[in-house]
Amino acid sequence: MKGLLAPLCLAVTLPLAAQSSTDALLRRAEAAYSKGDHKEALALYDSVNTHFTSASLLFNMGNCWSKLGDVPHAILYYERALRLGPGADDIQANLDQERSKVVDRMNELPSLTLGSLWDKLQGGTDVDQWARRSLWACAIMAAAAIAGTWVRKRLAKRLLTAVAAIALVSTVCSALLAFYRVQQVEDRSSAIIMSPTLDILGEPRPGGTRLFVLHQGTKVGLMQRQGDWQEIRLGSGAVGWVPVGSVEVI
Amino acid sequence: MFKRTIPFFASWVLACTSALAQQITFQATVDRNEIAAGEPVKLTISLENASGGSMTTPDWGGLAVMQGPMESSSFSSINGRMSRSVSRIWYLTATQPGSFVIGPSTVRVGGGTMQTDPITIKVTKGASGSENADVNGAQKKDPNLFCTISLSKSKAYVGEQVIATYTLYYRYNSLQPQNYDLPKLSGFWAEEVDMGSHNTGTTQTVNGLRYNVAVLKKQVLIPLHSGKLRVEPMTLNYLVNPGFFSSGTPVRIQSNTSELNVIDLPGAKPADFMGAVGDLRLEVTVGTPQVKANEAIDLSIRFSGRANLKLIDAPKLNLPPDFDAYDPKINDKITVNGSGMSGSREFQYLLIPRHPGKYDLGTLTFSYFDPTGNSYKQLRSAPLTFDVQTGTENGGATAGGPTKTDVQRLGTDIRYIRTGDLHLRPKGKHLMGSWAYILGMAVPPLLFLFSLLLHRRRKQRLGDLQGQRRRGADKVAKKRLAAAAAALESNDRNAFHDALGKALEGYFADKFNLGVAEVNESTIREKLGDLDGGRTADAYIALISDAQMARFAPMENKPRRQTYDQAAAIISHIEHHLRT
Repeated sequence: MKGLLAPLCLAVTLPLAAQSSTDALLRRAEAAYSKGDHKEALALYDSVNTHFTSASLLFNMGNCWSKLGDVPHAILYYERALRLGPGADDIQANLDQERSKVVDRMNELPSLTLGSLWDKLQGGTDVDQWARRSLWACAIMAAAAIAGTWVRKRLAKRLLTAVAAIALVSTVCSALLAFYRVQQVEDRSSAIIMSPTLDILGEPRPGGTRLFVLHQGTKVGLMQRQGDWQEIRLGSGAVGWVPVGSVEVI
Repeated sequence: MFKRTIPFFASWVLACTSALAQQITFQATVDRNEIAAGEPVKLTISLENASGGSMTTPDWGGLAVMQGPMESSSFSSINGRMSRSVSRIWYLTATQPGSFVIGPSTVRVGGGTMQTDPITIKVTKGASGSENADVNGAQKKDPNLFCTISLSKSKAYVGEQVIATYTLYYRYNSLQPQNYDLPKLSGFWAEEVDMGSHNTGTTQTVNGLRYNVAVLKKQVLIPLHSGKLRVEPMTLNYLVNPGFFSSGTPVRIQSNTSELNVIDLPGAKPADFMGAVGDLRLEVTVGTPQVKANEAIDLSIRFSGRANLKLIDAPKLNLPPDFDAYDPKINDKITVNGSGMSGSREFQYLLIPRHPGKYDLGTLTFSYFDPTGNSYKQLRSAPLTFDVQTGTENGGATAGGPTKTDVQRLGTDIRYIRTGDLHLRPKGKHLMGSWAYILGMAVPPLLFLFSLLLHRRRKQRLGDLQGQRRRGADKVAKKRLAAAAAALESNDRNAFHDALGKALEGYFADKFNLGVAEVNESTIREKLGDLDGGRTADAYIALISDAQMARFAPMENKPRRQTYDQAAAIISHIEHHLRT
């Protein structure tokens, strides 16, 4: 009995302890950042990031990188933050500022955003928002349908049927949105170039034909991978190979 | 002590001229043959018993004359015999070890010439090595006239003060300077040291030789970059021993080349380092800390001490944008003397606050490099705060309220980090697609299906009861109508109408779960509603009232068979259309 109880206790207290220590780490990171010790702040945020994530956390890490003068890392973290919290204007503002330091003028990779309304519709920072809404809608639909079957009065019956129908539509829509959101958050199809100057080769081998040159901070799409080589795609549609270590997946 | 008698060849001449003649001697003697470098050796050349002409100065053969010649002559009369001697004395020395030969000296006596023997002096290495290499090296070139450039340090940091001294050493009685080339300096900031009017020569003994020493010039040199910096040699032209008739011998001398090893300041330069190297103090004074808007504030930043003051740039002030500042005025009180540059440099700022308010300029910091401690040192002022009051309105150029100014964007920075709750969530876990989500999506429809099933079962049971009743109603109606049919067959008029009315009422009551007493015109209209636009209800009511009327009055509107068929049709019609 006791042997069974101990892991149970641990399972309950462990997340609590983790929560409080994480909070302490965040407070220390904030203090370090406000004092200008961006390196320390970054290390602290990074230790939090090993288990947890959020748009705000990634945004703060991007700020640390930016203050340390590392443009590609700052862009990488802002992009990650923007994926978790689309449409956040502070993230977008900082990302724009860092992008202005990138050498390559590139067509942005075609993105699926339809403007700020779409961004808002996706649920801001809360990835699970639509999933939760779909659950609610599903519950409402069932409740209305159940009530509709049992109610005798005709008018009430019709009303409840209408509610159930609307709830069904919302369930399907929000479930689709939630699914899309998760797909988007889990999307790993683009990357940021980390090497200051990078030759894009025509073949996945050293000494391949040099197609063009890119610089750090440029966003590229990822295609197939072959051993230590990664095929990338630019906004313009150009495709080439780079060593895997020279880019970092957003 | 040695004596060398010099044999002479013209003694016979002297013997002829004077019977009383003594023996004539002409000899050179030294007090010692071996000296250490720098030590003096005394050379005496004496002529006895003759009144000769001038004796020639011997060739010194590399030895240097420290003193002399000194002449002495003596007469003596012993027993009527007169003797006299003339001697010249030199003190000679050598700056280098080696073997030196003093050449012969000649003198004309009577009609002949007498000559001394050459003397060899051995010079060993001297013990005195106190003079620096520059002087020794220069002395080697010409022991009588040379010049040196000496630096106070051989190794210095960039910006550190080094003092260069240009010195002339000479042993001639008189010198007349002609033209000179001062060394070209590259990589240095040079500052002339004011020598003053008391530029009198001193004497100094170098390797045993006594020199008149004149410091020609002193310079404070501040190296501007690291590496080996050279002070190129200077060239001087002199006329030596100019006399009344002769213009003197021209001599051209060149000094040594001095090298300075300049090293970069160690470590990372602090942001507030303005190139000052030395030892400094900072003094910040504010004229009036409380002013009105649009009035000037005097801010003076004063550096004093021993440093490369002339190379200090104006410190950057972190001024609020509402302040107008003019380029600072620089007041220098710098003296350059033999120990370097010292004094003070003052930057006077004129600040004009344009708007009232409390302004905090923070602490002014200034770093300099201390070459003795090999470290940077930071000077800090007291915090600078200004309390700017509202200015007098008539002082401003505009009337009627403050002037509007555009908000200027002074710089760009990224937005600040987010603080507080960061909405952290475990990585890679989403509600969508999780078991909880699937369960949450599956349970409500399942509940609904369950409820539907339950409802169906209940309805089935309920439907059975009603169906029974309905079938019962049919049955009762048929039964009632059957009774009416029997009465029709038996042609019993009263029984027929009684049975028909009861059948109609009973059917309706059973059909709509009413009591027989409740069956009346209004309930029929209500229940049958607008079935066929109310005609069914009308027909039903008409049938019932006809039956009631026919029971008590001996009149019939229609044949009984037709009435019966009508009743059967209407019941079956209601059954067909009201199945609820």
